[in-house]
Amino acid sequence: MIRRIHSAHVQNHYSINAVLRHLLTLATVLAVLIFMFTWHVSVGAKSLPLDAVFQALFDGQAVTMTHVIVWDLRMPRALTAALVGGGLGVAGAMLQGVSRNPLAEPSLLGLMAGASFAVVMAVNTFHFSDVFWLPWVAAVGALIAAVVVWLIAQLAPGGLNSLNLILAGSAVTAFLASLVSVVLILNQETFEQLRVWLSGSLSGQKTNELKVAMPLMMVAFLFALYLSSKVTVLAMGDEVALGLGLKTGWLKVQVLICVVVLTACSVALAGPIGFVGLVIPHVVRLFVGVDYRWVIPYSALVGACYLLLVDIIARLALRPEEVSTGIVTALFGAPLFVYLVRARAR
Amino acid sequence: MSNGNLPKTNDLVIRLFNERLSLQVSKSALFVFFMLVVSNVILMALSLTQGAYDMALSDVWEMLVSPFSSSQMTVVVWEFRIPRILVAALVGSMLALSGALLQGVTRNGLADPALIGISQGAGLAVVVISILYPQEASVWRPWVALLGAILVAGVIQFLSWGEKNGGTIRFILIGIGLAAFISSITSVLMTYGQIDRAMSALTWLSGSLNLASWEHVRILLLAVVVLLPITLILSRSFSTLQMGESTAIGLGVSTSVLRTLLMILAVGFAALATASVGPLGFVGLIAPHVARRVAHSGVGMHLLISAAVGAFIVTLADMLGRNAFAPTQISAGLVTSIIGVPFFVMLLLRARVKA
Repeated sequence: MIRRIHSAHVQNHYSINAVLRHLLTLATVLAVLIFMFTWHVSVGAKSLPLDAVFQALFDGQAVTMTHVIVWDLRMPRALTAALVGGGLGVAGAMLQGVSRNPLAEPSLLGLMAGASFAVVMAVNTFHFSDVFWLPWVAAVGALIAAVVVWLIAQLAPGGLNSLNLILAGSAVTAFLASLVSVVLILNQETFEQLRVWLSGSLSGQKTNELKVAMPLMMVAFLFALYLSSKVTVLAMGDEVALGLGLKTGWLKVQVLICVVVLTACSVALAGPIGFVGLVIPHVVRLFVGVDYRWVIPYSALVGACYLLLVDIIARLALRPEEVSTGIVTALFGAPLFVYLVRARAR
Repeated sequence: MSNGNLPKTNDLVIRLFNERLSLQVSKSALFVFFMLVVSNVILMALSLTQGAYDMALSDVWEMLVSPFSSSQMTVVVWEFRIPRILVAALVGSMLALSGALLQGVTRNGLADPALIGISQGAGLAVVVISILYPQEASVWRPWVALLGAILVAGVIQFLSWGEKNGGTIRFILIGIGLAAFISSITSVLMTYGQIDRAMSALTWLSGSLNLASWEHVRILLLAVVVLLPITLILSRSFSTLQMGESTAIGLGVSTSVLRTLLMILAVGFAALATASVGPLGFVGLIAPHVARRVAHSGVGMHLLISAAVGAFIVTLADMLGRNAFAPTQISAGLVTSIIGVPFFVMLLLRARVKA
């Protein structure tokens, strides 16, 4: 009896400690996010001092030049960066949890290639420019690509292991990339229209796209949070999850839908941006462990910080030219991928 | 010449230099090789007739036997079409040889110069020199490509070097990671070039035979003449390596030296081919598998058959690419990727990758 009380006490003590630690971490991450956001807004053709940006952000009424620049020109881009980074971070975390594969990521598993292929085909064939449907077109492409990759990996000898998933993903990516190149070579107009977008860029006015994608992504974030405890269980293995009474098949479908929506909205907003979904969950797990109830919200916040930072670098590195954000994420992410492969083989 | 004491009577055994050099060649493999060469010649002749001006086969023959006639078509055939198909065939066979060597050395059936970043390394080097020093690009292109490819191959070897267990998986995965890394650097250069330069870079990067000239034929032919005999001489020790590291060592082969030599050859073939036409994906993957399927043979013969298959694939891909959406040309590299990916998936589904 005494022992039981004691152990309950210890457990309680630990969980209070854990909650405190999480609150502290959360506060830090939020502070970093606000700082990154402000910094991101301050960088540009007209460099604004941080305090002016801060003032403009939180002082809704004033109509100064700074105010206009901040709210009308820079905010959409900063919001896009934060949303895309957060979305890809969450998508990567969920994929890694569900497939129990540390290398899983929307671009490596072919989802981004599927989404961009669908968008290129829509723009090229139907001269499609309705912003409202763009995320949906991308979602259909991403979904089909994901299912094909999953099927190939499932049917290959060895089943759904890292190697099969990555190989299937890169095969599907290579195939779709070739088809995209064919379309672009055949139609130079489409090429000119899409070549920056295809390398994953946050430039350009995205206000209309944001209006469509933001609510969708918010819903997907909430859905991801709702699923997060089940993902934690699923990450322990299908048998454990089944034993605990989870409908694993249905859960995987739900996760897939959530991941596809997040990926598709990101692609519609910024083109294919690789390796964010790989990098973020790994960094987050370093700090918060394997509980996806924490991994998923942190992945959203850290992903947003990361992409804001990357976008700042992309805009500052070769001034006045601007490097595509997707290129910078690949430059940072690919070495981590190589490191993970090496670390895992050890 | 044939030796009755051997159990396999359908093999051709050649003994030269007082039996110091002997070759045993399966007759059926020899026949297959011969048939492949013939079909290559037929395909090349067909390819010659296709283009902006279609011709009959008899016209082509006439132009081939009288190269100095001054008719416009003769010039077109001799200046554009013949070098183009020769480059296609040479590049195809070089990539196939590279793939066969890579698959043998790494003992991994999924190895391909484009999949593991060697082609991307050569590609990046060429794009860099074309942008920074456009004047010298044409002279230095093959050497720069070779350098880029060797660097990348070295990095892959360095990174995947380590414990034996899982080595082949690591090799492929690291190759994929490096390929993504290099492609992103190439994209930086691509995105911010002028649209016409970017357009031509896009064409080159997708593996195009558009600019093939006699100059390329000379370089490629030289490469084949130098590298192929070395490869064939090494093929005998190579065959012991394929039986496994310990067997090879037991048979007195210095495996590390041999591996290095074979890797250099594989990289050399791939880099020089890539330097001329840009990265052509999946040829090096497909050709050795097809060669194994059509004929059982020793390693040396397998290399030759692979080369013939590779030449056939690229010539065919080029012909398809030129005609599918004429007058716009689709690069051969895109065609090989579109054909190659389903093949790759098939391999993935059938062959157990050693995990």
